[in-house]
Amino acid sequence: MNRRSALAEPDAPPQPGTDASGWVLRGLVTAHLVAGFAQPVFAGVYLSGDFDGLAWHVIGADLVSYIGLAQIAVAAAVWIRVRRAWPFWASLALTLGATAQYLAGMEGALWLHFPLGVSLVAGIAAVFAAAWARPLPRRRKEVRADA
Amino acid sequence: MPDVNLPVTRRRMLGIGAGIGFVAAGGLALSTGWARRPAETGEVLRSEVPLPQAFSVPLPIPPVLAPIQSTPDGERYELIQREAEAEILPGFTTRLWTYDGVFPGPTIESRRGRPVTVAHRNELPVPTVVHLHGGRTPAASDGYPTDLVLPEGWTGHDGHHMADDRAQVTNASREYGFPLDQRAAMLWYHDHRMDFTAPAIWKGLAGMHFVRDDVEDALDLPGGDHELPLMVADRAFDAEGQLAYPALDPTLTGEHGVEEPYVAGVLGDVVLVNGAPWPEHEVDTGIYRLRLLNGSNARHYEFEAVTDEGRTLPLVQIGADQGLLAAPVEHQRLPVAPAERYDLLLDFGEVPLGSGVRLVNRLGTGRTAEVMRFKAVRPGQRAPIPQTLADDLPSWDRSEAAQVRDLAFRSGRMDDGRHGWLVDGLPFDPARTDVTARLGDVEVWRLVADVHHPVHLHLVGFRILSRGGGDPLPHDAGLKDTVSLRPGESAEIITRFEGYRGRYLFHCHNAEHEDMGMMANLEIV
Repeated sequence: MNRRSALAEPDAPPQPGTDASGWVLRGLVTAHLVAGFAQPVFAGVYLSGDFDGLAWHVIGADLVSYIGLAQIAVAAAVWIRVRRAWPFWASLALTLGATAQYLAGMEGALWLHFPLGVSLVAGIAAVFAAAWARPLPRRRKEVRADA
Repeated sequence: MPDVNLPVTRRRMLGIGAGIGFVAAGGLALSTGWARRPAETGEVLRSEVPLPQAFSVPLPIPPVLAPIQSTPDGERYELIQREAEAEILPGFTTRLWTYDGVFPGPTIESRRGRPVTVAHRNELPVPTVVHLHGGRTPAASDGYPTDLVLPEGWTGHDGHHMADDRAQVTNASREYGFPLDQRAAMLWYHDHRMDFTAPAIWKGLAGMHFVRDDVEDALDLPGGDHELPLMVADRAFDAEGQLAYPALDPTLTGEHGVEEPYVAGVLGDVVLVNGAPWPEHEVDTGIYRLRLLNGSNARHYEFEAVTDEGRTLPLVQIGADQGLLAAPVEHQRLPVAPAERYDLLLDFGEVPLGSGVRLVNRLGTGRTAEVMRFKAVRPGQRAPIPQTLADDLPSWDRSEAAQVRDLAFRSGRMDDGRHGWLVDGLPFDPARTDVTARLGDVEVWRLVADVHHPVHLHLVGFRILSRGGGDPLPHDAGLKDTVSLRPGESAEIITRFEGYRGRYLFHCHNAEHEDMGMMANLEIV
C-alpha cells in the first residue's frame, strides 16, 4: 500500500465512513488547533508592547475554553455513537488544563502559564492528529478495529 | 518501510500519549521547582559579615534640615554631598556617600506654593546630579542625568558614555529651585547621574522631602512623633563591613553597569529602615502615620503588620505617591515597588503594652522577610480614622485624551551589544526625543512589561486606569508617579502634562534597569 491510500478514505473502501458526530468532532479539534496556535502569537504581540495583544489573548483564551467545552459534549456523543472513549477523556483533560492555564494567566503565574501553554498546544495538536488519522464510523456494537 | 496503513495499536497510542504526558509533566515540575514563586526580578548579593539580630537597634529618624535663609519668597537650604562614615552594622564602620554626612539625607519640610532653593555642593569623587522624585519642577532643576555637578578639579570626562549638547554642567556646586506648587505629598531626592544612578543611591545618596498643604492640615492626621518617615532599602556588605555592589567599574567613573548575574537588579540581604538594619521603634498604643518609601534599587516588598500573637493589623492607606486619597483603603498586605510611597495609618490600640508589631515582607525569604518592629511601651490616644480625605484629586477621562501611546518595557541588547533594558526597543539616548507631549494635553499611556518594571514619570502625577486589562488594584488608588508593572503585566495610566515645558524623563525605577538603558526622553512643548 502506498501512503496516499492510507490517508485518503475513498481509496480504502473496507473502512466505513465517519459518523456525523465524528465530523463535528473533527471540525471542533480543527478550530481548537487554530485557536490554540494563535494564543502564543497574541502573547508575543502583547509582550512586544502592543497593548491590544492582551485583549486578543483574552479573547483567544475564551475561545479555547468554549471550544474545549463543546468538544467534551461532542466527544460524549462520539463515545456513544462511535464507541470510542479517548476523544472524551482527551477533551476533558485539555479543558481542565486550559482552565488552569486561564487562571495562571490571570494570576500572572508565568512559571506555570508558559510550560502549561506549550503542553496544551502539544495536546491539542495530538488530539487533532488522532481525530483525523482514522475514520470515526458509527458502531452499534462493541467492535474494536485495533484488536 | 513499515506499512503505514496498519492500524496503530492501542498499546502504541497509549505509549505515545504517556510520552507526551511525561515530558509535559516533567517540564511543569521543573518550572515549579526552578522558577521564583512569587516572581522576583533581580539577584541577591550576599553579605560577607555576620548580620545583626533583628530588632536590636533603634529606628533612626533623619534630621529635619534647617533653612539657611527664610524670606517671604521661600526657603533656602544648603547641602554638602560628601563621604561620611556610619555604623550601620553594629561593630562596623561603613563609608557612605551622603547628603550632609547622614544616610538617609536630611529631611526637607516644605509647604505648597512656597518655593525652596537647595544649593548642593559636590565634594564626592564623582559627578552628581540631584532629582526631586515626585516634584513638579522646572526642567532646569529637575536633575536631568547629564546636568552634572562636577567635583572640584574634575579632570575625567563627564563620566557617561553619550554626548549631550543640551547638558548644563556646573563645577562644584549648583542651585536647584523647586516651586513646589503641588499637593501635599512625600517626595524624595536622590542622585540621578547618567549611567550611575543605582550605585550612587546604593552608597547613600537619597533623602526625604515632605510637602504640606491646607487640605492635609484640615484632616488633623497624626503628627509630630506619631508621623514616622520610613525609607526601606536593602543593602549588602562585604567582609570589611563596607557596602558591596557588583559594579563593573568600582570607581564608578568608567564603564557603567553591573556584573552579568545582577543585570536584572541588585538585591541586598540586609533590610535597612532609615539606614538601620531591622530596627525597633517604641510606640504608644495610639494611631501612627507611616510615610513609607521603598528606597531600594530593585527589591519589591509586600508589607504586612503582624502582632506578636500572629494577628494582622490593617494597613490603612490614606495617601499615594502624589498625596492623599479621596477615601482610605484598607490593606492586609501592601505591595510596594522601588520608588513608590505609601501614606499609612497603623492603629496600635489593641496591642498589649510590652508587646510588639512586626512589619514583615511577604515577598522576602529568610532575613529579608523581616523589616522592622514596633514595640508598644506607653498607652496612647485613640482617634478615629477620617472616612473622607482629600477632595482635590484631579479626575481625567479617557475621552479627553489627545494621545494614546503604547510603550513597551523589556529586556534587549544595548548599542554596545551588552544585555540591557529598553523602552520601545531602544536604550536611553539623551539626544533622542522619545515622546513629545503638548503642555496641557491629557494623554493615556499603555505600558507593557516583560518582568517587574516600576515605571516613573517625571513632572506629573497620573492615575491608573486599568491593570492587566482589568480594574486597577486597591493599592493603585490616588495620584501616582510610579506604577509597578509585574511580569507580563500592563497598565493604562492617564495624566495631564501641566506645569512646565522642557526636557523631562520617564523610566523604570529599578535603578539597575535605569542605568542600563531603560529610560526615555519626554519633551513637553
